[in-house]
Amino acid sequence: MSGLKLGRLRSMLGGALHPAVRPLAEQATRGEIGRREFLRTAAFLGVTAASAKAFIGDLGLVGEAAAQGAPKQGGTLRFACSVMEMKDPALVTWAEPSNLYRNSLEFLAEVDADNVTQPYLAEGWKPSDDLKTWTFKLRPGVKWSNGDDFTVEDVEFNFKRWQAPDSKSPNKTSFAMVTKFEKLSDLEFRLTLDRAVLAIPEMLYAYTCPILHRKFDEMGSDWIKNPIGTGPFQMTEYKVSSIAKFKRRDGYWGKPAFLDEIQYIDLGTDIAAHVAALAAGQVDVLYRVTIAEIELVEKLPNVRLLRGKAAQTVVMRMQVDQKPFDDIRVRQAVCLAADNQKMLELAYRNRGVVGENHHVAPFQPEYFKLPPLKRDVAKAKALLAEAGYKDGIDLELVVGNTQGKWEQDASQVLQQALAEAGIRLKLNVMPAAQYWPIWDKVPFGVTFWAHRPLAVMTLDLAYRSGASWNESHFSDKNFDAALDKAMGIVNPRERSQAMEQVEKILQDSCVIVQPFWADKFAAVSAKVNNHRPHPADYFRMDRVWMT
Amino acid sequence: MKRYIAIKLGEMILVMLAVSFIVHVALELNVGDVAAKVLGQFSTAAQRQVWLKENGYLDPFLVRYFRWLGHFIVGDWGQSLRFRTEVISLIGPRLAATGILAAATLLVTVPIALLLGIAAGVREGSLLDRGITVFSVLTTSIPEFASAVFLSAVFVFWLGLLPGASTMTAGFSPAELVLPVMVLSLYTAGYLARMTRSSMIEAMASPYVRTAMMKGASLPRIVFRHALRNALIAPITVIMLQIPWLLSGVIVVEVFFAYKGFGTLLFEAALNSDIYLIEACAMVGVVVVVVTQLISDMLYTWLNPRISFRDVGRREGGA
Amino acid sequence: MTVLGVLRRSGPALIGGAVVGVWLACALFAPLLAPYDPLKSYSPLISPGGLSPDGMRFWLGTDLLGRDILSRLIHGARTVVVWAGLATLSAYVVGLAAGLLAGFYRGWVDTVLSFVANTVLSFPVLVLYIVIIVSIGASAANIVIAVTFASAPAIFRIVRALTIDLRSRDFVAAAITQGESDWRIMLVEILPNASGPLVVDVCLRLGYTAITIGVLGFLGLGLPPPTPDWGGMINDGRAMAIAFPHLVVFPCIAISSLMLGLSLLADGLREIANAGPGGGEG
Repeated sequence: MSGLKLGRLRSMLGGALHPAVRPLAEQATRGEIGRREFLRTAAFLGVTAASAKAFIGDLGLVGEAAAQGAPKQGGTLRFACSVMEMKDPALVTWAEPSNLYRNSLEFLAEVDADNVTQPYLAEGWKPSDDLKTWTFKLRPGVKWSNGDDFTVEDVEFNFKRWQAPDSKSPNKTSFAMVTKFEKLSDLEFRLTLDRAVLAIPEMLYAYTCPILHRKFDEMGSDWIKNPIGTGPFQMTEYKVSSIAKFKRRDGYWGKPAFLDEIQYIDLGTDIAAHVAALAAGQVDVLYRVTIAEIELVEKLPNVRLLRGKAAQTVVMRMQVDQKPFDDIRVRQAVCLAADNQKMLELAYRNRGVVGENHHVAPFQPEYFKLPPLKRDVAKAKALLAEAGYKDGIDLELVVGNTQGKWEQDASQVLQQALAEAGIRLKLNVMPAAQYWPIWDKVPFGVTFWAHRPLAVMTLDLAYRSGASWNESHFSDKNFDAALDKAMGIVNPRERSQAMEQVEKILQDSCVIVQPFWADKFAAVSAKVNNHRPHPADYFRMDRVWMT
Repeated sequence: MKRYIAIKLGEMILVMLAVSFIVHVALELNVGDVAAKVLGQFSTAAQRQVWLKENGYLDPFLVRYFRWLGHFIVGDWGQSLRFRTEVISLIGPRLAATGILAAATLLVTVPIALLLGIAAGVREGSLLDRGITVFSVLTTSIPEFASAVFLSAVFVFWLGLLPGASTMTAGFSPAELVLPVMVLSLYTAGYLARMTRSSMIEAMASPYVRTAMMKGASLPRIVFRHALRNALIAPITVIMLQIPWLLSGVIVVEVFFAYKGFGTLLFEAALNSDIYLIEACAMVGVVVVVVTQLISDMLYTWLNPRISFRDVGRREGGA
Repeated sequence: MTVLGVLRRSGPALIGGAVVGVWLACALFAPLLAPYDPLKSYSPLISPGGLSPDGMRFWLGTDLLGRDILSRLIHGARTVVVWAGLATLSAYVVGLAAGLLAGFYRGWVDTVLSFVANTVLSFPVLVLYIVIIVSIGASAANIVIAVTFASAPAIFRIVRALTIDLRSRDFVAAAITQGESDWRIMLVEILPNASGPLVVDVCLRLGYTAITIGVLGFLGLGLPPPTPDWGGMINDGRAMAIAFPHLVVFPCIAISSLMLGLSLLADGLREIANAGPGGGEG
């Protein structure tokens, strides 16, 4: 093929390029896949980020300009964030504590704000063709803040810890398929899996996966007492539910950070107080602004509202083995009567993308476009009558408002829409803290699903037969097989084709009403530069600077 | 008097036992959820079970209650599930923060309320009286959550004069105290002013004040020498009884302004069914309530020597 | 004394009674008075007096989900009247029964009941509500239970004190010697004579309960949506109070005016009770 500058591309681990690189490069050249998709898949296939960017630069596919003038060194940034307990980073249960230790602790791979996977503590990786063995190469010259060298032993310690029989970390479940950890050299290791997994690097950026020092347990298993890390900042102060401070440290392996200090200030649970604090100049960054405060934030002087796309969504999921949802006609009636567009318009003020009841987002790499869903109240009524509910049916939906009141708002819109088909929906709203313990137990509930870099990661966790977080108890052999097939395909375009089947089965089974994909919002004071909303709320602060 | 205090304290201990048992029973309903809260919603059932066993949650209810009680008495108040740190280390600073808030509120409220109440009560039915009465009825009719919304809209967003969150993370800041105190005072001041007004009216109508008036004493002299002492008995005892009220009344204000006090601590503890923290807060609450009642009773007898402690026991505080 | 008679004798009571009356009427005739369906979405965030794209006028504007605020306020009155009323009533049933028993029999009945009341009262009230609601879940019935639990002890104390006082009066002694049953004495002789102060307390307590329901709604523990509830409406709109003041101003006025009405009514009743010939105890 003429003009294909394959010679530009370099393999991270040296040696030959993965065979899938060539068709990928051809697709990019023909414009069939976008810049992000190319970069993501290239990184995944072990192509160095620099060479992939150079290749894409030759094609003229340049990304949005990120620079806002020359970065300035120094300054203290105040970040509004709850300061939670995080003695053991592998056990934290929320993204918030991870954003604190993210300044000091690092991961093997990173998924950046563009949803592109990048090398981090691992300089590169390479999966086998069957995706069952993964070879990682660590970055040389990385030192811990106590002066020790970072080696493969640190990584091995972490994997063992996650997988230990008495491990209470969710990593135990997510890495259950790793059957062997082999040390190849001081800087190389290999993972052997019992099934093909596509997203190992992405999974290694989960917030419970920071790489801890190999002596973490010997030193008392308390990161607050021994905040040793490889990252650009050093923790200097930490008070639960009050404040945490991080200072830039010398001797970081990467580019030194711009900020001198970051302070994390706990503003409690009430988001209105957060906006008030930003308005009064008490903090510089609100990493999460909910839809309820958007209009207010837009009006504030000296404040910038940031917006980003994310594969985050709520699903109103029905447990397929519970009455009356064990009758597919009831579920179909619910899906047909629901008005996803209206939920997006009213509950999220149209700041998102309408959902298609299959949990794959249009901006995820493997999305396949199915024909649009059509609302059909008459058909919903007919199906209900057929299922024996001629006079309508009473249902109860449990809402936890875990992300804000918009979950409850969406549910109220659903309630109105379902009423038209004779479905009397009762809302049972409870505080988030009450909701989480029962999120996977209620027959009909609203669940927030956070962003995952790849749609198959979510589908594998939530809809595969017997999967650990399969809250809907959905179980379909054809679905599992179709998902397996898609997950074994490296090339994004081919994978997207294979996803047609996956999406269709899930959509037709009417397991979820998925109203919309919710955009992400953050607000920063005008002094803050280069802070970008991250789809999963994972913020690296070393490139942020202040004027 | 010593006997009275001893009885009161004995009663307090009984009440503490009863309250702690009730809280344990109430939270027993969701005890299985504790592990899910600690290990996160994505932990597996097996992991949760192990955690429950390790932390003694699978023991029978009474065993757990008495174990807690035993530890509590010797000063081991357990670990907070929400904050995952020693309960005892959480309570102190939070109680102090709320103490500051309550003290500041009383400091602002009491002089204003007494002044307004006296001014209104001296001349019942005057224009001033009517004005003050209308003001106090109005302020007591606006719930705190409504006045918090309005005051923060005006002073934070509109005028940009005051900080919007009162976290005090950078050390004590008087500016951050202004809005919470304003909201709390608005309600309390109206209430107290009404109270003072009515007891002032009563005092002004009493025989000895009438006698003083007939003797031609000047109004300030009558007010300060004769009426005031008697008129203040009710308000002052009410002020003491306001303290327990402040303890729960601050919840809304503290949550709204992100003030790190006892109220937010309790609120978060309750939302998270954080059993040991709720227990500790409840115990502290009981002590505060009983002690303020005690002080209120003592003040009452001190101000009004005609009443002995035996009568105090019969006097019932308003609710 | 008739209600009207009471109202005519006191200015504040007249005003208070009028305000309360307006809200009572709203509660009774909500479906007739409300211009729109309080649960239906029309067009979001219309300003007061504005028109929707299809030409409907909304006098107090619409909320985030496009529901008519006026209709929600009117139906919200029903919520408050029904649930605050029921909660107060239920607290009174418990408090009255226990108070009469304790005050009439004294002895161990009194000791036990007083201890229970003291126990509950030494717990900050709002915390009690939150703990109860969190353990049994937020629903209208559970709010009634929580309010009963928390308010009954205070009512008990008042009733007990009044009963002790009245029991020593001659007419009660006379009834006892005539061999009337204890229940008859309590309900026919004592209770009606204690009603003066209790009526005042009912007014105030209704107000507190309305505010409590509001506070719970404000803290996100209130009545489940979409029930129109004033406190919940304020909570829903407060984040945007700057951009869209009408979301919170009107529900605030509603709840404050009801509170005001009830406390003026209570003041007026107290004045009349103190001044009037028939109202002995203050």
